[in-house]
Amino acid sequence: MSGAIAVLVFPGTNSENETLRLLRDCGGRAELVHWSRGETLGDFDAYVLPGGFAYEDRIRAGAISAHDRMMDFVIGGAQVGKLVMGVCNGAQILLEAGLVPGTGPIRRPAAAFTDNAPVPHFVCRHVYMKLAVAPARSPITAALPDEALIPSFAAHGQGRLAADAAQLDEIVAGDRLAFVYAHADGRLDDAAVPNGSALGCAGLINAAGNVLAIMPHPERDAWNFNHLDRRQGSDVLAPSGGSVLFASFVAAVDAR
Amino acid sequence: MANPELVRPGVALRDDELRRIAERLGREPSVVELHAFDAQWSEHCSYKSSRHHLKRLPSEGADVVLGPGQDAGILHLGEHAGERYGVVVAHESHNHPSQVVPYEGAATGVGGIVRDVLCMGAEVIAVADALRFGKVDDPGSHARYVARSAVDGIGAYANAIGVPNLAGDVYFDAGFDDNCLVNVIALGIVKESEAIASYAPPGAGGWDLVLVGKSTDPSGFGGASFSSVPLDAGDEAANKGAVQVPDPFLKNVLMRASYRVFNLLHERGIAAAFKDLGAGGIMGCSAELAASGGYGADLNLDDVNVAVDGMAPEVIAVGEAQERLLWALPPEATADVLRIYNEEYSLPEIAHNARATVVGRLTAEKRYVLRYRGAVVMDVAVEFLTGSIRDELPYVEVIRHEPEGAELPAVDVERAFPRILAHPDVCSREPLYRHYDWVVRGTTAIARDAADAGMLVPVPGSPLAVTLSIAGNPRLGRIDARYAAERAVLDAVRRTVAVGARPIGLTDCLNFGNPRKAEQYGELVAAIDGLDRAARELGLAFVSGNVSLYNESSAGVAVPASAIVACVGALDDVSQAIVPGLKSAGSALLWIGSRELAVGGSVLADVLGIDGPLPSISYDAERAAIGIVAGAIAAGTLLSCRVVAEGGMLTALARLAFDARRAGRALGAELDFGNPLCEAGGFLCEVRDAPVVDVSGTLKVGTTIAEPRLIVNGTNFDVGQLYDVWSKPLAEIYP
Repeated sequence: MSGAIAVLVFPGTNSENETLRLLRDCGGRAELVHWSRGETLGDFDAYVLPGGFAYEDRIRAGAISAHDRMMDFVIGGAQVGKLVMGVCNGAQILLEAGLVPGTGPIRRPAAAFTDNAPVPHFVCRHVYMKLAVAPARSPITAALPDEALIPSFAAHGQGRLAADAAQLDEIVAGDRLAFVYAHADGRLDDAAVPNGSALGCAGLINAAGNVLAIMPHPERDAWNFNHLDRRQGSDVLAPSGGSVLFASFVAAVDAR
Repeated sequence: MANPELVRPGVALRDDELRRIAERLGREPSVVELHAFDAQWSEHCSYKSSRHHLKRLPSEGADVVLGPGQDAGILHLGEHAGERYGVVVAHESHNHPSQVVPYEGAATGVGGIVRDVLCMGAEVIAVADALRFGKVDDPGSHARYVARSAVDGIGAYANAIGVPNLAGDVYFDAGFDDNCLVNVIALGIVKESEAIASYAPPGAGGWDLVLVGKSTDPSGFGGASFSSVPLDAGDEAANKGAVQVPDPFLKNVLMRASYRVFNLLHERGIAAAFKDLGAGGIMGCSAELAASGGYGADLNLDDVNVAVDGMAPEVIAVGEAQERLLWALPPEATADVLRIYNEEYSLPEIAHNARATVVGRLTAEKRYVLRYRGAVVMDVAVEFLTGSIRDELPYVEVIRHEPEGAELPAVDVERAFPRILAHPDVCSREPLYRHYDWVVRGTTAIARDAADAGMLVPVPGSPLAVTLSIAGNPRLGRIDARYAAERAVLDAVRRTVAVGARPIGLTDCLNFGNPRKAEQYGELVAAIDGLDRAARELGLAFVSGNVSLYNESSAGVAVPASAIVACVGALDDVSQAIVPGLKSAGSALLWIGSRELAVGGSVLADVLGIDGPLPSISYDAERAAIGIVAGAIAAGTLLSCRVVAEGGMLTALARLAFDARRAGRALGAELDFGNPLCEAGGFLCEVRDAPVVDVSGTLKVGTTIAEPRLIVNGTNFDVGQLYDVWSKPLAEIYP
């Protein structure tokens, strides 16, 4: 029996349908769980927090949602080893909840995904995320090749990792920098980073490796029709490109 | 002079209209009635000076599921798994609000157009914007502030509701310094059998009227006539009152809750009507919904969920607070619909006093009745309120172009071409649209500006694709309104064909000056003629549209005539799309279509400061070119394609090289053609085997090469350098 994945819908979430569709196209047993029935979340084996502007990004993106009662289940689940992945706004929520990088107490974040730099403005741009840890570091990334390059879209106004130097050191030393922004050929430099993120960070992981937070959206470059000139195989509706990360997540959930 | 008793500040009704109302009612209208007629008989609601001309436009065809008349039109996209799918399309302007308060004005423009599509029972799949701003060179100018803030407003709203921006265009012209144009388009997808009407269907007598969304507040009062507002606190409050306040967060939830309601109604086979609240607020929406089905309505304003106490009944009735819609529901469905909005989607927790609530009912008697605090404050024959009123106004048509042509100028391509690429009407729009989310929903196949049209795959599990393109060149409009309208249709259709899609229908938004000035009105009438001609010649219909008048400078000069046209296209299989960018070295470059060389209205003319005749339009040649391109696509010989438009054929070639560069292909071309900067029209195509499409109407103009250079009659351009020239200018406006 494959594991049950909940895709959480907060008020203001906007990417739930494509997130759900990709999980299912990757073989996952997933369904949407809406805020008015959050009490059912305990029944699920894994959680995916999709993109959007939950609670209107009031205070700071993710700050209110981290205190939503649905997050009680996600935090409790993460602490007993359930797999959790947050994408964009979902990543911001996981950071505000203190689940990643996990260097401080719950709901007392020591780092934030905050205003892009140098221009504090929403930006939509095609990017590549490069796997910056060994694939076996986390079950979620276990099916990816070394230094996997995952095509995605950055689409956010608050995606810059900000933390003090000690925190950043701890993130690096603790092997919690899961993904960095890269060019199509894998090169790393400032031009590859769409938002001025510290460490070129595109994604963070917790110490145990069961919670992953990524700012870019692989699910928006995830089917052959999303990238007609890079399509693989003849089925234009087949998952490809950014779907590899979701496929790895689904495989990890089903392996439990 | 009207009866002084009737004249109230903030009411734009004319004396003769006021007299007509009093005569018909047999009494003086109440304050609420006065404001109701003011909104309903405004140009905005009544189309009183344009409707009789608009009637001419073709509105029927094989692909038309629903023509103009409801909140949006519907076009047949295709079939999947035994279901017929329709594309819902609506197109509107929000010009005056965007000039006054650009962020909120543009954002509420998006909000309104999205509701027009939503209320047809559709899932909203895309928005698009056609923007006309003033000269933005001066960093301190109001025009630059408008250009930036309007884009921010459009982006912030659509991003938050999770609808991708699929297409758009932008022009900068001093003619828009005092009056920008912000046109917005939205697309939706619906099973054709499940579309919801925006009029009361047969048997709707006694149905509940359920208001849903934001609590009614004093914002947007008087928006339909956009006149000053009768508030006691003076001008500042009046200006504030005219501004509508966007709430995309609430809209996000409202859309998702409405999708849930659609499911419930389809599951149970319940008919209903659903309509957006726009101009005229609760009154305008409920009166039109009732009257168009042959009913009256009886509403109690005390049942409206309001944001603040003590609002005057006329403000509750006609105020244009955003994020509201109205259902007409058979009473057996009402409780479940209220539960979905108020409990499952918890609207009252999302925004202050937001909810779904019963405010009245449809009546068999064709009266429009409003009650407030136990008294009847409005009671009129509903057809008199909503029926067509008509202003017959005098007009003259003025054409400003020189009919007989100057000689083609000798052009130094090496100097002129980089200036054309850096021209604000040609250079890259990426600095602007990167502020928009164009990939949310995960359905985007061809992004905005990656090709001549944007493309989505909107039906999960199906390869059906829909495209959207926009056209309406103000440099042509200021010369000849009729010609510009014809070209807008042609350009939008060509852009659809260039990505491999089949054009299935059109929308228009007519942005013109003051209809009470014969020359400005003449431009509107001429443009409608032009749209009519071009659409009929190409066998297409207009299924949705909007008219925006009184777009003038402070000196009373009309904006450049702007008939802005959008074309919706369809592909049965997205794998047939023509992917942007040159594909390989050694391909032939063909120019297919009209090649009449003239500089009138071109970017070249603007750059060189010259004038000349407009290239003439041959519909035979246009139809032939469209057929040749479609044939080459079907034969699999067409590798890449762009229309020849602003900046001429060489600009189209450079764009194909830029597209290839972005995809990692270092390709260029050798071009052998004398006047590659004229804007004659047609398609520039890269084809695999030139002889296969060796048909009359095509001309081989060059060959692609395996290095990133454009070699034009011996002049040698580096594609990378040209890309820098082209990609940077707007970054200063949109950092």
